[in-house]
Amino acid sequence: MGINIEVHGLKLSYDAQPVLEDTSFTVGRGDLVALLGANGAGKSSLLRCISRILKPTAGTILLDRQELNQLDSKEAARKMAVVPQEATADFDFTVEDIVMMGRLPYLGRFQKEDHQDHEIVRRSMEMTGVSHLAGRSIATLSGGEKQRVIMARAVCQQPEVLLLDEPTANLDIGYQSMLLELAARLNREQKVTVFAAIHDINLAVHHFNRFILLAGGRIMAAGRPEEVITPENIKKSYGVSATTYRHPLHGVLQISVVRGRNQGENHDGEPAVHVIGGGEEALPVLELLEQKGCRLSVGPVSAQDSGCRFAHFHSLPVVIVPPFTSMNGAHKEEHLKLIRDSDLVVVPPIPFGEGNLSIFNEVETALDEGKPVYIIDLEGADRRDYSGKARALLEGLVGKGAVVLETVDDLHAVVCGVGGAENE
Amino acid sequence: MLMAGLVILLFFAAVNAMIWGSVSIEWQDALVILFEALPLGIAFEGADIKAVHEDILLQIRLPRVLLAAAVGSSLAVAGAVFQGLFRNPMADPYVIGISSGAALGAVFAMLSGFSLTIGGFGAVPLFAFGGGIATIMLVYSMARVGRAVPVMTLLLAGIAVSAFLSALVSLLTYFAGEKLHMVVFWMMGGLGGATWHQVRVMAPYALAGFICVSIFSRELNAMLLGEETASHLGVNTERVKKILLAGSSLLVAAAVSTSGIIGFVGLVVPHFVRLVAGPDHRFLLPASALLGGALLIATDTLARVVIAPSELPVGIITALIGAPMFIYLLKKRKKLRYFGGGG
Repeated sequence: MGINIEVHGLKLSYDAQPVLEDTSFTVGRGDLVALLGANGAGKSSLLRCISRILKPTAGTILLDRQELNQLDSKEAARKMAVVPQEATADFDFTVEDIVMMGRLPYLGRFQKEDHQDHEIVRRSMEMTGVSHLAGRSIATLSGGEKQRVIMARAVCQQPEVLLLDEPTANLDIGYQSMLLELAARLNREQKVTVFAAIHDINLAVHHFNRFILLAGGRIMAAGRPEEVITPENIKKSYGVSATTYRHPLHGVLQISVVRGRNQGENHDGEPAVHVIGGGEEALPVLELLEQKGCRLSVGPVSAQDSGCRFAHFHSLPVVIVPPFTSMNGAHKEEHLKLIRDSDLVVVPPIPFGEGNLSIFNEVETALDEGKPVYIIDLEGADRRDYSGKARALLEGLVGKGAVVLETVDDLHAVVCGVGGAENE
Repeated sequence: MLMAGLVILLFFAAVNAMIWGSVSIEWQDALVILFEALPLGIAFEGADIKAVHEDILLQIRLPRVLLAAAVGSSLAVAGAVFQGLFRNPMADPYVIGISSGAALGAVFAMLSGFSLTIGGFGAVPLFAFGGGIATIMLVYSMARVGRAVPVMTLLLAGIAVSAFLSALVSLLTYFAGEKLHMVVFWMMGGLGGATWHQVRVMAPYALAGFICVSIFSRELNAMLLGEETASHLGVNTERVKKILLAGSSLLVAAAVSTSGIIGFVGLVVPHFVRLVAGPDHRFLLPASALLGGALLIATDTLARVVIAPSELPVGIITALIGAPMFIYLLKKRKKLRYFGGGG
């Protein structure tokens, strides 16, 4: 290993306005480092200091133990390549011309590109998957293709360090991960140190193993994803509440921003809704009602249930029953209270078993007390019924005045109708 | 291929320029005169050449053709460099004020009636050259921010200074009185009265300027992608900018001081070449030089012959012919995507 980039006491000001203050960190040889931070945190400025576009007000940057501003331009370009946010390539150069420009730091003033240069250009285009575009004009390519060509040019520079300044900002999700995968591959196969400013944290955690979080021109945290990407750090640097969790499918640390909403303020016209039960099946209902701006309550759900996580994430009132137990009296009281606090009750297409049949008691109470109850997908209840009694119980509720909706989408009309009526 | 075509075109334009005129000379005779004049010891037996034709060709038309070639290629190359450096298709050799500086110098010399002669040159070309160079230095120092000279600031400073100097030129012109005709004629540009002496002085400037900018054509290609990108690719942008500006300013100042302000060549010729052969300056610069030379020789020939024995200012012809040709090419190619977002 060894240290590749060493930044010490870096300061930068634009017109006396400080942008970076006392920034120090190191990037080891062969590291794969993502630079995170809100807009205006100084990410681009830091990268532009390292790529020698901006001159720091104070502090030093060492590249391979050599002071950066002592390096000659060509020498620096042989050690370090840069992929900017968006390639401004509106000129009629062919893709091959553009990639060949990556050889510029290796060519003497009167030296012509030789066989070896052409070979390197060919391999770079192959690696980035742009060989088939070689003869095309760069101006005719899509944003994603252009960015891959710029990547090919960077590869062609045969750098030790690759700097990426939000390289995926304008790309679709396919090109985004393709580009970062390419950077990771360069890091794996050619031991290139990669240092990239990235906006999309959830994307970055897939490809990078070290993170530096900038806030207000200073380094707030640095290290492994668990150390850097925490709700506290995100709150402090981006100013939003967020929850971190392991993705259920790939297990990678992910972050989700909590929708900022002032309590009570946005609930004006929308009804308060209580959604019965949890599980994957209830999520579409919960999500739709949440989007509509309804004040929600959930329950009863078991502690590890996705409905329970939804309720916690959105800070909703919820009745939680410990796993593998059925509801006791306290739970029932709690549940009834939530039902009584709401304007209407929704029974989503959840599975029924002996364990949760008792909730029908509370729903019945709601009907008796005049609360509107909506049952979604009564026809499909048999498929979700593990007790053999649910259908009959549901039909009993319908007999008492519960309304049957065919699909989740029919809730739109219900919610809007109630809200509108209350407004008028 | 294209380059060979341009060389032939230049040669063709040159020969035509030498045989046409108020006195016409057979092209066979012209070639014989030319070859005999070359220090190769070739003599064509039995060729019947009139001495007066030989004089007209060697002392009047040949220097004029060579001067036209030098001026035309200087303007075209400088135009290509400025367009590339400023990444702006509207840039021409005069964009940062060299022409107005030169004009001010020239008009001042004409009106004040200085009788100054240095190295066989009168006050007008000397003042024009000095005015042009002084202007570019002023603009450069005005555009300086710390150690860097941002091209956008340079362009704006150039336009502002240029406007100011043009106003001064207009002011002087207003009081020009009986010299008005002379002033206006100079500003339209022309190659009348070209001498071997002018060729001998102009040629080294043109050559030096051309070599100076063309050895940086690879860097200029990178600069076309933006200064930051060029810098990432190992180009010392501030130094390259300085050298390119110095080289092309030399070209323009030399051209303006010998022939006045000839418009359109420097704007249009690089565009022609780019439309046909792309933006690579390693080809663009020499090709522009050849085409610029050929175009100015051809238009100058027209300027001499259309109202012979009198002459039109060549600047009128370059614009009259250049503009429609350029529009035709634009229409034909539809897409002008080599410059800024045409897609």
